[in-house]
Amino acid sequence: MNEYTYDEIETGHTESFGVKVGEADMESFYSITGDENPLHKDESFALSKGYPSRVVYGMLTASYLSTLAGVYLPGKRSLIHSVATKFYKPVFVGDELTVEGKVSDKNDTFKLLTIKVSIRNQKGEKVLKGEMTVQVLEEEENE
Amino acid sequence: MSREEVMEKITAIFREVFDDEELVITDETNSDDIEDWDSFEHISLIVSMEKEFSLKFDVKQVNTLENVGEMADLILKLKGEA
Repeated sequence: MNEYTYDEIETGHTESFGVKVGEADMESFYSITGDENPLHKDESFALSKGYPSRVVYGMLTASYLSTLAGVYLPGKRSLIHSVATKFYKPVFVGDELTVEGKVSDKNDTFKLLTIKVSIRNQKGEKVLKGEMTVQVLEEEENE
Repeated sequence: MSREEVMEKITAIFREVFDDEELVITDETNSDDIEDWDSFEHISLIVSMEKEFSLKFDVKQVNTLENVGEMADLILKLKGEA
């Protein structure tokens, strides 16, 4: 886990990581949310709608933005204030995603980062794009 | 910039942040008057005002403000127009 302080992060700072979406992730998401929509649960339904297989939950893909802020940028001192996303292409089980965030703005008054985020699949196609505002909490005295 | 112009811009910011075009903002308006005005929205308001008025607040100054009227006075003071 990264432990950046506010001052250590400059505008333009970029972090990224890779993740592979598996069946277990779909099951875990269903277990948490109860979203039984057949596009995500029923292979034949997904095929009937023109998809090659079941579509990964959009919010599961978006959930990796929590990882981006909480583990990578800024990491330990992260407090997410807002997330805005758009989904561009469907994600399927087995896809390998690259999650990236780049700091586009800083607010010194509240130690807020504005982070432009994007997620791409193994073909380099953009599947998600958005923006987060993340506060960098103060260091504890005994850190 | 006149105080009236400052209040007009502040009102526009409040309407944008709280997504309510009918919102009426006066000098006496404070967080007790708007249900969704919590600490997170407070930060959104201040950040928006910094951008709108091209200035930077001291967070300690901001925390002592009692209402929107005092915010308008602070903005005018920082802009050298009080």
